[in-house]
Amino acid sequence: MKRTRNLLVGASLIAVLAGLGVAQHLLEETAAAQAKGSVQAPRFEVDPMWPKPVPNHWVFGNIIGVGVDTQDHVYIIHRGAGSLEPKEIYAAANPPASECCIPAPPVLEFDQEGNLVKAWGGPGPGYEWPESNHGITPDSKGNLFIGGNGGNDGHILKFTRDGKFLKQFGFAYASAGSNDMWAFNKVAKISLDEGANEAYVADGYGNHRVAVIDMDTGKIKRYWGAYGNKPDDTPLGNYNPDAPLAKQFRNPVHCAEPSKDGFVYVCDRPNDRIQVFTKDGKFVKETQVAKNTRGDGSVWDIAFSKDAAQKYFYLSDGANEKIHVFDRQSLTELTSFGDGGRQPGQFYAVHSIATDSKGNVYTTETYRGQRLQKFVYKGLATVTKPNQGTVWPTRTTTH
Amino acid sequence: MQPKHHFLIGAGLVTLLAALGAGQYALDRTVAAQAKAAVQAPRFEVDPMWPKPLPNHWLLGATIGVSVDAQDHVWIIHRSSATLNNNERGAELDPPTGECCKGAPPVLEFDQAGNLLRHWGGPGQGFEWPESNHGITIDYKGNVWIGGNGADDGQVLKFTQDGKFIKQFGMEWGSAGSNDTWAFGQVAKIFVDKTANEAYISDGYRNHRVAVIDADSGQFKRIWGAYGNKPDDTNLGRYNPDAPPAQQFRNPVHCAEMSVDRLVYVCDRVNDRIQVFTPEGKFVKEQFIAKRSLADGSVWDIAFSKDPQQKYLYLVDGRNQKIYIIERQPLQLLTSFGDGGRQPGAFFGAHSIAVDSKGNIYTTETYEGKRVQKFSHKGLGPVTKENQGVVWPTRTSSN
Repeated sequence: MKRTRNLLVGASLIAVLAGLGVAQHLLEETAAAQAKGSVQAPRFEVDPMWPKPVPNHWVFGNIIGVGVDTQDHVYIIHRGAGSLEPKEIYAAANPPASECCIPAPPVLEFDQEGNLVKAWGGPGPGYEWPESNHGITPDSKGNLFIGGNGGNDGHILKFTRDGKFLKQFGFAYASAGSNDMWAFNKVAKISLDEGANEAYVADGYGNHRVAVIDMDTGKIKRYWGAYGNKPDDTPLGNYNPDAPLAKQFRNPVHCAEPSKDGFVYVCDRPNDRIQVFTKDGKFVKETQVAKNTRGDGSVWDIAFSKDAAQKYFYLSDGANEKIHVFDRQSLTELTSFGDGGRQPGQFYAVHSIATDSKGNVYTTETYRGQRLQKFVYKGLATVTKPNQGTVWPTRTTTH
Repeated sequence: MQPKHHFLIGAGLVTLLAALGAGQYALDRTVAAQAKAAVQAPRFEVDPMWPKPLPNHWLLGATIGVSVDAQDHVWIIHRSSATLNNNERGAELDPPTGECCKGAPPVLEFDQAGNLLRHWGGPGQGFEWPESNHGITIDYKGNVWIGGNGADDGQVLKFTQDGKFIKQFGMEWGSAGSNDTWAFGQVAKIFVDKTANEAYISDGYRNHRVAVIDADSGQFKRIWGAYGNKPDDTNLGRYNPDAPPAQQFRNPVHCAEMSVDRLVYVCDRVNDRIQVFTPEGKFVKEQFIAKRSLADGSVWDIAFSKDPQQKYLYLVDGRNQKIYIIERQPLQLLTSFGDGGRQPGAFFGAHSIAVDSKGNIYTTETYEGKRVQKFSHKGLGPVTKENQGVVWPTRTSSN
């Protein structure tokens, strides 16, 4: 183990140096291409009227997960009453203290038109519902994986899309740290490699690792920390953009997304970086994004574009309130869109991101943003600005 | 003073009984008319892309006032950074934690297309900027009036549209209660009557009165409480919908708006009622709205329709999160629109309302709503629902 570890450290140092060189080269290349006006990137426009208003005076709390299934249905998970103020959920009081409003059930499913299909979730017999829901991921068989980052959440839940409980992996109150094989510690997100029947667990808000589990049994098969190091839970203090790069992930490890060509993209959120690994946890390369971002960090969640090659990925950044559009292979940022605010296409703590089969992007917002938004894919377009700001459709009506 | 006081109470009671009878009659009539589908009311649709996104990564805080000037420019006042969370104002922290965002200046002017024009406000020489801004009104001369409901705010400020200070009425720390004629007690809103050059002060969050002052000199001309009673600051405790109607306003007295036929409509917010007076403060009638609304109440702000007769009155209710459309003369509720939520046309803390020359409605939201929204006037239409919910335009594109 020791030797492997040293080898990985050595390999990662070389890879970093190589990565920096490559990144520099690509940056120059991109700049040159931009001078010729030839850099292309996917273009998006917010759909201000998606999804449709939900019934029953329901409102959302922090929305901390989104996923799209094989039918292009969109699932979200949110935190309900715990993240809403009493004065916006008066109707949930007993007796109701006004007509508005009631927290919606935590899991909601929408169709492509934005119609609500189903709503469910919460405690039940045979499983421990998370103290604080976090992340939702559909598989191709119609099941959903849910994490949780409450103080004692150490588990993952698997349900059918209709809300029937299937299995719990790990336990509440159980985690013994980042090298524990029995439980997790405040899982942010679960991402699937269905070909290998494996799930990649971003673990998480308590642990400092990526854990790979069997999708059926939940057994932990392998795990690793930053640069492929053995994970370590020693507190690193606050992120400092001027310090040497941390050799461990900071909390939270917020996503771990396997690409079709066999790499795993990890969101090391407060460290403002993406680290790329092989599926076995061998470090490949990394890049920092908006590296002067402190506090919450910039690298919140990743979704790949829907072309066969997954040429692009989209990174949601809930500190700078935008979506960064990256060329995946080169880890080069091409452009970004979004800004802070409460209007359509703006964000307050954009948290989770997913794409559908048509290439449309869905985002959710935590904190007091508390929205699900859709950004319609408009094909490739020449990049003209590093930050496009709020991307609105062209007006087609006269008000 | 004492005999007059009793007389007004007596008149109030008589009028109240008459109004209750009239209300019942009106209700019966509406039901009959609805059976014939003959009731018409103004129809509105939210404009999800108004105003345009703000520049400079600016954010709105609790937005607690809106007014439309003679050119149909829309003015708002908000509380900016004082009501923003640290995790959304990273760009103004020291050191900055991210690119996003910072509080916008408190006073903002928009044109009809939603472009931001002038922006200003904050402490300056020769006046006391409120601890907590509240209410903005453009008077018939084009001047800008601002109130404040901070703990010590006892003043009203008047500026030019360029933000040049003109005059302060009252002072910080100055209020000696609802019968004081030197200062106010946390003013919610100001209305200026062109005919008499008088300002009607909704006074307020601490006082329990309407105060009328000379719009130039600020000299107090008259004051009154609920039913035209001498105002009294005795604590009434919490509003109880099953108790006899309170003989005084509860805090806050949240609006006092004069109609073209020179009736003054007062928002007795927490008492869930509109009271109507002559300009001299003689009680005319009252109407309860959603009278089972507790705590922050249902009657937040009023604007009149733009037809010459002001046939309709629009009432914003930040507790039930909707706008009521009321036929003004009989004070008869026709329909309502809106619901709780973060999407366009939904509200959290719908607070202030104004109408432009075309009949369009503008609303602002306080609490975590923090928006200005526009609802386009779509002419009269038959009333089909008591509550229309979120009013969206029809889709014209295939997003």
